[in-house]
Parts: sequence; C-alpha cells; structure tokens
Amino acid sequence: MRHPSVIARRVAAASVSLVVAAGAAACGPKDNDASSAGADSKPQKGGTLTVLNANPQEDFDPARLYTSGGGNVPSLVFRTLTTRNRENGAAGAQVVPDLATDTGRPSKNATVWTYTLKKGLKYEDGTPITSADIKYGIERSFAAELSGGAPYLRDWLIGGADYQGPYKDKKGLDSIETPDDLTIVFHLNKPEGEFPYLATQTQFTPVPKAKDTGTKYEEHPVSSGPYKVVKNENDGERLVLERNTHWSASTDAERKAYPDKIDVRSGLDSSVINQRLSASQGADAAAVTTDTNLGPAELAKVSGDKALAARVGTGHFGYTNYLAFNPKVKPFDNPKVRQAISYAVDRTSVINAAGGSSLAEPATTYLPDQKSFGYTPYDHFPAGKSGNPAKAKELLKEAGYKNGLSITLTHSNSKDFETSPEIATALQDALKKAGITVKLQGLEDNDYSDKIHSAKTEPGLFLAHWGADWPSGGPFLAPIFDGRQIVKDGANFNTGFLDDKSVNAEIDAINKLTDLDQAAQRWGALDKKIGEQALTVPLFHPVYKRLYGKDVKNIVISDWTGVLDISQVAVK
Amino acid sequence: MSEALVASQAPGTDSSVPGASGARQFWRRLRAQRAALVAAGVVALLVLIALAAPLLTAIEGQDPTTYHPSLVDSARGGVPVGPLGGIGGDHWLGVEPQTGRDLFARLVYGARVSLGVALAATLVQVLIGIVVGVAAGLGNRWVDQLLSRATDVIVAMPLMIMSLALLAIVPSSFPRPVLVALIIGLVAWGSIAKIVRAHTLTLKELDYVAAARLSGWGAWRVARRELLPALAAPVITYAALLVPTNITVEAALSFLGVGVKPPTPSWGQMLTAADIWYQAAPQYLLLPAGALFVTVLALTVLGDGVRTALDPRAASRLRIGTGRRREAKA
Amino acid sequence: MSALKGLSGSLAGFPGFALRRLVGAVVTLFAISVIIYLVFYVAPGDVAQITCGPRCSPAQVHQVAEQLRLDDPLYVRYWHFLQGVFVGQDYSTGTSVQHCGAPCLGVSYQSGQQVTQLIWAKLPVTFSLVLGAMVLWLILGVGTGVLSAWRRGRFTERALTAVTLAGTATPVFVIGLVLMIVVCGQLQLLPFPQYVPFTEDPEQWAWNLLLPWLSLALIESAKYARLTRSSMLETLAEDHVRTFRAYGVGERSIIGRHALRGAVAPVIALSANDFGSAIGGAVLSETLFGLPGLGRELVHAVTVVDLPVVVGMVLVTGFFVVLANAVADVLFAVADRRVVLS
Repeated sequence: MRHPSVIARRVAAASVSLVVAAGAAACGPKDNDASSAGADSKPQKGGTLTVLNANPQEDFDPARLYTSGGGNVPSLVFRTLTTRNRENGAAGAQVVPDLATDTGRPSKNATVWTYTLKKGLKYEDGTPITSADIKYGIERSFAAELSGGAPYLRDWLIGGADYQGPYKDKKGLDSIETPDDLTIVFHLNKPEGEFPYLATQTQFTPVPKAKDTGTKYEEHPVSSGPYKVVKNENDGERLVLERNTHWSASTDAERKAYPDKIDVRSGLDSSVINQRLSASQGADAAAVTTDTNLGPAELAKVSGDKALAARVGTGHFGYTNYLAFNPKVKPFDNPKVRQAISYAVDRTSVINAAGGSSLAEPATTYLPDQKSFGYTPYDHFPAGKSGNPAKAKELLKEAGYKNGLSITLTHSNSKDFETSPEIATALQDALKKAGITVKLQGLEDNDYSDKIHSAKTEPGLFLAHWGADWPSGGPFLAPIFDGRQIVKDGANFNTGFLDDKSVNAEIDAINKLTDLDQAAQRWGALDKKIGEQALTVPLFHPVYKRLYGKDVKNIVISDWTGVLDISQVAVK
Repeated sequence: MSEALVASQAPGTDSSVPGASGARQFWRRLRAQRAALVAAGVVALLVLIALAAPLLTAIEGQDPTTYHPSLVDSARGGVPVGPLGGIGGDHWLGVEPQTGRDLFARLVYGARVSLGVALAATLVQVLIGIVVGVAAGLGNRWVDQLLSRATDVIVAMPLMIMSLALLAIVPSSFPRPVLVALIIGLVAWGSIAKIVRAHTLTLKELDYVAAARLSGWGAWRVARRELLPALAAPVITYAALLVPTNITVEAALSFLGVGVKPPTPSWGQMLTAADIWYQAAPQYLLLPAGALFVTVLALTVLGDGVRTALDPRAASRLRIGTGRRREAKA
Repeated sequence: MSALKGLSGSLAGFPGFALRRLVGAVVTLFAISVIIYLVFYVAPGDVAQITCGPRCSPAQVHQVAEQLRLDDPLYVRYWHFLQGVFVGQDYSTGTSVQHCGAPCLGVSYQSGQQVTQLIWAKLPVTFSLVLGAMVLWLILGVGTGVLSAWRRGRFTERALTAVTLAGTATPVFVIGLVLMIVVCGQLQLLPFPQYVPFTEDPEQWAWNLLLPWLSLALIESAKYARLTRSSMLETLAEDHVRTFRAYGVGERSIIGRHALRGAVAPVIALSANDFGSAIGGAVLSETLFGLPGLGRELVHAVTVVDLPVVVGMVLVTGFFVVLANAVADVLFAVADRRVVLS
C-alpha cells in the first residue's frame, strides 16, 4: 500500500494501515444503527452516492491494490474469484463465492485449488469473462511496473518467487492452469488451507489482455462489477462510477448496487470530511466516507447530539496496536525486562491518547478479539486497567535493575494515534511509575518504517501495529512469528526474530487444514502460547466510528473490514 | 524578494547617519512612544514567563507532561471533565483533552520553545543575512554575482519543502528545538540578505564610507566600523517582523508533523492539536491562539518603535498603532 | 540593483535587464535542481521499497529499483534528468513505450504519470487560489491601510490594525478550519470548498473558492495595510502635500489623489512578490481545503520520496518566484519613475 499523505493527519486511523489503506472503508453496526437507519423505508434503487475521502484512489489497478477482502470502492468495479460475505458483524468475516461457483475445491493436501466460473459473466463492454483473464490478471501483478500487492501469491504459487510478470516473460506462470474457459487451477508449493481467503484480493480480478495498457490501465480499468469508471481525474482524486449494464445481479449475490451513480471526491482534510458529513447538506446528505474515522474531538461533539449520534456507524476491523521488542538489543534480551514492561503499561492512558474508550479497546492478546481469528483470551502479565508498577519493579529487581532502568522507545512522527507521539508519551508517563526512564525517539515516517523493518537497524523497543489481510490467524501470526519469514536483507516483519521449531511446525500444521473453524481454534491456541514469550505488549484494538449522511440507508458493517460496505448502501 | 521590494522596504538609506548619535538618544526616542513602551513591557513579560516556567508551574503545583486520565471523559473522546475545560484551583487554565495534562504548564513551557525557536531562528537569519549581504555589497563583481545567485536560490526554494526534507535527514538524536530553529534560519535568510546588500551598496557610495575605503582600510574594518552601525536600523526593524513570522512557521511545521517533538509543548503544536477541538473544548484552541496574537502584536509594535527611535526620518513607514500627535513630532 | 538611482529612470534598460534576469533565472533553477537531487539522495526512505509496497521481497524491490534506474550513480541519474529536460525521454508502461517530449521533467515513481502532465493538472488550482486571494488581500489590505492613514490615531485605525494583525498571528489551518465550521457548517452561507474548474463553471469556481481566498487574505492583508499606510503617511509628510493643505485642498482629495499614489509602487512590488511565493507556499491552505494544487501534491511527493515530482514541482514554483520578482521590478520601475532597472 502506498502511504497516505503525511498530512492525512489528526483523525485517528484516518488512513488505516499497512493492510487496508488502499481500499477498506467505513462505519459501524454494533450500535445497531444498521437496522434503525433503514427501518422506515426499504432501500430503493437510484440516486447518487457521494464518497468523501482523505486519500485519493491513487492505485486503481487490481494488480497494485493491497486490500482486505477486495477493498471498498475497488470492489464495486472488480469482481474476484471469492469475496467477503456482505453481512453485519461476525457473519461478515466469512469468505463466499463471487465469480466462482464455490470458494474453491482443494486436493493433494490443499496444495491444488480448483475453481469454476459462473456462466454468463461479462465485462462492461459485453465480452465474456474467461479463466484465462484471471490467470493474466494474477500474472501481471508480478510485473515490477505493477508492484504493490500482498506477498502471498509470490510465496505460495510454484515458480512465483522468480516470475517477473507477463511483460518480461511471455510464457506465463505454469502453476496456474486454465483447462477451459470456465476452469482455473492453482498449484501451490505447500499446503494452504486459507487459499479461499486469498482469492478475495483484487489480484484475482479478470483483466482482458487486449485491454491491458500497463501502468496506464488504472486510468480506466475494465469493470467486471456493477459499476464502471466514467471519470478518473487527478490520479484517482475524483472518480465517477456509473452502472455497468452488462453486470447481472443474478450472478452476484453479494453486491446490492442500489445507487445509480457513485461520486468519489478525495484529497479532503479529515476534519473537513467529518464536518461535511455532520452538516449533511445538499449532496452530502447522501454521502459516506470509506477512509475517515471520527476523531476524539469530533466524537466529543457528536456524542452530545442525539441526531448526529444516530448517524454513526461502529465497526471492528481485525487490528492490533502493540509495543514490539527486539530481543537482540539489551536489555530486551532479558525476558524479565520484557515482562516488567508488560506489567507496567497503563492501557487506560494509552487508550485515552488513542481517542478514548469509544475509539479503542484494551488488548491483552496479539490476535484481535474476534471469533474468526480464533480469539483465545489470555493475559499472561496482568497490568490491570492502569498498570502494575509494583510487580514491574519486582521483576526488574530480579533482572538486576534494582535502581531502575533507562530505555529508548522509538515511534513515528505521524499523526495516526497509533504509532504516534501521543501514544509514546502516554507509555513514557506510565513506565516512569515503575522506575523506568523512557527516552523517546521519534522518526519521520519513511525513516521509521525503514528502521523497524530492517533486521540491521531495528530498534530495541518500538510502537507497531498489524492489520488483517483477511480475518484469520494465519496472516496475523505467520509474518510476525514464523522463523522462516525472517528477512535479513529486506523488509522484515518478524521483528522479535522468533525462530521456534515448535511454532514453525504448528504454523505448517494449521496451514494444511481446510476446515477454517478448526484452523481458527488452533491459531488462537498458538497465539496464547507465543504470548508467553512477551515479544510484544498488545496495547489496544481500534474501534472505527464513522459518520454517514442523513439520507444513507442499509448500513452493513462486517467484522472483516470494520467499515460500512459501500456495495450495500442505498440513498433512496 | 524582488529588488524593487527591497528598495521599497529599505527607505531612508541615503540619509542614514551612522550610529554616532549614541544609545542615549535612542532610549530617549524610544521612551517618547507610549505604545512601544507598553509593547516592550509585554515582550519582557513574555520572556520572563518563559524563563520562569518551572517556577510558575511549581507554584501551581503541576508540570507539563503528567497525564491525568481521571480528568477527561474517555468515552466522549477525552473531553475535559467539568466546566470550562476543567478550570479550577488545581489547573488554572484547565486540562488538555485526551491526556488531562495541565494547560497552564503547557502554555508557559510552550512559550519557552516558541519564543526560543523563533528568536534563535531570527538570529541565524540575521547573521547569515548580514554576512552574505555585506560581503555581496562590498565584494567584487564575481563575489556579488555568486552570493546574489545563492540568495535567489534560497528565496526561490519553497520553505516548507526544504524544511520537510532537511528535518528528515538529520538524525533524531539531534535536539529538536535547536534543529527546527537552525533549519528555519538556514532556509529563510534570503530577504534579509537582499535588504542588507541593498543598504550596503548605497552606504558604500556615501562620502564617509568611501573616504574610509580610500584611506586604505580593509573591507573587514570598513564593514565593522562604518557599515554595521548604519545597518542596525533596517536590520533590527526587519528582524522584529521576522520573529512572529518564525513563530508561525514553527506552527506550520508542527501542522505538517515535523515541528518540535512531544512531549515538549510548543504553541504551534498546541494550535495544531487544538484546532479540531474548537467546538468541543474551545479554550484549548483559544489559549495558544491568544498567546500567539499578543506576542505578534507586541513584537510588531515594538519593532516599529525601535525603528522610529533608530531612524526618526523613516518614522512614518511601516508603523502602526501610534497616534497622530506623535506622528507630527516625527 | 539598488533601484533608487537618480531621477532619470524609465524602461530604457529593459532588454538588457530582461536578458540578465533570464540568465540569472536559468542559473538559479539549475542550482535548485542540483540541490534537490543531493538533499533527496541523502534523505531517508527507500524509494524502491516505498514504490514496491511494504511487503515486497528483496528480489522484487531490486526489480523496481532497476526499472526506476535507482541503482545508477547519482550523477547518471541527474544526467538522465537533464536529458529529459532538453531532448525528452522514453519510458515503459509495461505494455508499450511512451515518449515524454522535451521539456520532460520525468515520470512519477508512484503513479507512472509524466510530471509535466501532473503539473499542468495542478497549476490551475493553485493559480485560482492565489490569484483570487491576492485580489481580496489587496482590497482588504489597501482598504484598511487607507482607512487607517485617514483616521490615524482614532479608534477605527486601532481596531482595523488589531484585526489585520490577528490575521497575521493566526496560522491558516486555524483560521480556515474555524471559518469553515462557522460559515459552511453552522451558518451554511458558503459551500464546503471543493475545486470546480473555472472553465467548467465560473460561478461555482468563485463560490467554492471564496472561503479559502478569505482565509488567505486575512492572513496576508496586515502586511499590505502597514505598507499602504506608511507609504501614504510618508507622502502626506512631503512638502507638496503640505502646500496643497495650505491651499485648502480637502483631506479626502489629498488622501485619494495624492497620498494613495505613493503607495501604489511598493504595494505592486509586494503583491508580485507574494504571488510568487504563494504559488509554492499554498501547502497548508490546499491541504486544509482539499484543493488539488501544487503545494499539496509537492508535500505528498516529499513524503513518498517521489523525486521526479519533487524536482519538477519545485522548479516550476521556483520559476514563478523568479518571474514574479522580475515582474515586480518592472512594475516598480513603471510605477515609480525614479527607479532604474538594473
């Protein structure tokens, strides 16, 4: 994902993360506004839905997008083999068929996955969608010109690691077979029971080879979904989507496509977006945002106004903010020191700094507290609500630091209320009570991500976060704790340098499971086990609160994205 | 800055008298201006507050960094509990939303950073400006060309962009307030250098300077003995205007996320954090904004006063807030 | 340079002046491009990794670096840039080879678009913002200046002075946001700004930009008020004005016909100058108001280390600063006959 502009500032998680930035969206259902908003009248077709966003859709090429579940705006134009279930809450964390007739048929220990396309699928120009187009769409995501997507295809497909894309290698990838126009077969280099989740990503969008214009394709990607692009100005800053008449609702159980037109206006300041949504005048009455949360100041105002509060959607995306240790750096090589810090953190003041109890929930587990992740509660080093400095001091004494300890905490200088100075100062204040003097080291965004993701320069203690590529323990735990994913000379995400044989073996064992519920349970147990090592201190899970205009109906917010699903919204 | 503008902002050069008239005369003229005196008092008070910040917060019994989670309403985004943002005997100006840190303490400590950064940056700008401007004015054609082009480059570079880039390059262990001051100073000395150069060129033609040059004085001696005293008036006047500008530049850098780093408070940083709180906690925004306004007003009036005192003939220029009676006198 | 040189000034030296300025401008812009290349060479941020995405493998990052020519030595990359400016360059979209004709400022690492095209798209926005704001700040500033010169020492003057100074003392992101909340959100007098191209709908263009104009004007006008007032007072103190007064010419006429004239030259000079720097310095207002102009794009490009965009845009804004300064000097010379162009 491209980093959103530094100045998409001030509003908590305005620009969600690593994982969702490019596409995810919006608001929330747990307050049950979903039902109240649409209660009076049934959603009708017609009208124009306005989308007010901070970050332009700079990448609108399915090869380059890094989305969770196919993204929000992109998912209106791009259909994929599978997709996320468009339902409220936990039901929305399931994977369902989209272009394919089912979520995939595994064989040979889940190393071969076969999909059959539905009949009668068409592009916006009326030409049929074939399995070869899906193969081509995946192949072009390997081209250096179109980089940006998630790493799984490269890591999982046989020959994926060396393939350079169809522009350089005309022959294509042998590990994707298309025996006929409706069938596509994937050959993986190891068992991957979660392949159906991966097939929700936009790289699985069909791209007709004849229409491919390389880096210019994103100006007008060919639609397979209910809307087509009729305007794309200023590198995705203004998008206008209109109905794709060749899309048929009978082949698409997921997208409702009520509005006739979608008008996306981005590049807006996050506070302005929230002002406009709360004023809800003119076209803004039928407006939503797919990337801007309510910040604390706005929440303070909204919570005092009943009419406004009824227009707030609440959602939970699988996401964890945490403190990360580099055990190669002293004194964090000592588990007692890591445990002491785990005991000393004051989650209440951290949560206040992140926007308060309505915008963040305390986390003691690394995995998000959702069933699909296999959430298994644990709190190995109970710090209570506001820290246990006495226990921390005791551990420090045992570790040989009876006169206290001086450490450096590295954070970013961004304004995301996640890895930003506000959180760092809250921790600094809390650790002081345990006799730990914290020096803050704030780094500019690029410097920060260079440093924390390089095995050579990784600091000893830093703020970090991780989001779900799909709602399962796999993409949450494996990149961070699988010893074979340690990268010595590139972007490394196993920041604790954990290379534990039993953990690696358990990851392999779970990947073989094609029963996703069973896999979830095992991921949860694994998380609990890894947690004992205190390589991270989970701090909080964010809660997304987003305003929508007063004419907006049919709000659906799944636990997959935590934000309002734009394909379900009606404005009439 | 264009040559034309330099000329228009540098009046009275042709008649400037070297500072022979002495400090006594300066003080007499400055004292004659009531507005300037009041402004001087305000500036002195601000500096005093900044210097005495630890003492003042000790009297209040607070400090600028301690969190008070119990004083904010977590469920409502962390808005301060109690009327007027939690103003009371414990927290004279209330507390900061989200953190509950004491606002009075942050405001007075913020004065240290904001005034310190702005003054230091101004000093850097003035020093570079004088050196470059005088050297260009006195040097031969090539020196002049070289320095003038360098000045053009500095003027034509967008300040914010260079600051963003430079702030990212310097290691984070470097003390941030010093760095911010240095960078503002290093990228925004163009206009003062142009003004100094223009003055130097004019002064150089004046009889007494020309005589000193002819009698074999070196350039350095000429600069020190004859030019610098005569440059004092325009430089001080312009510098008084640079200080408030630099305060807002620091604020703008904070807005872009590269200003002074937390937990160190600065007015700019407070403004940046506070603007979205305008509706939910207005005093959070009004306090730093008011402080900044008073500072800018005082410095501007003082700058005009100093100018009048140094260069009475140009009294009518670039001055505000003084009445008609004194106008006539000048 | 020092412009006040005798009484004989006019535009006689214009051709020589123009030539010297042109050469100076080219040298200045060249130096700027070198500096930006050097600064960004040492700036942190792995361009290839940022362009490729955070989860790219070292092999992929290497491919991207190769494709963007990031592994070339700095001087080779700079030479390539210069070649683009003078003879254009070819680049690949993967499926075809495109030509970017001279003067080509390169191709964005991030979006793959030609920098010149990006600039053409953003320039009208920034121009609209700055031009409109300039008109307003001239009206506000000069008006305030005239009023306060006329009513000097009285309450009106002090009040006006305080208001304009309050503008100077408040950063644009505060004024702008508060104005937006009150004027657009609560009173609903103006729409939340949203850029509408002038060519599409002039009325909506102005209506939408009014608030950004006003915010910028409030911030800049104090300077103009001060300059106008002081220039006028200086003229008023001159002998011939005293003579007019002695002959019983009315105060209104003196202010309007004589004193104001003295303020024209410096005000023009300052405006041309501010116009130049505002083109490159509209970052904050563009960000706040969501206007897709040069300043905002530039800051974004800096954060993602998109060097071609940064260099291209800084060169363009630098060009406007240099141009505006030259224009200011010419206007100054025209307005004030005592000035000689040099």
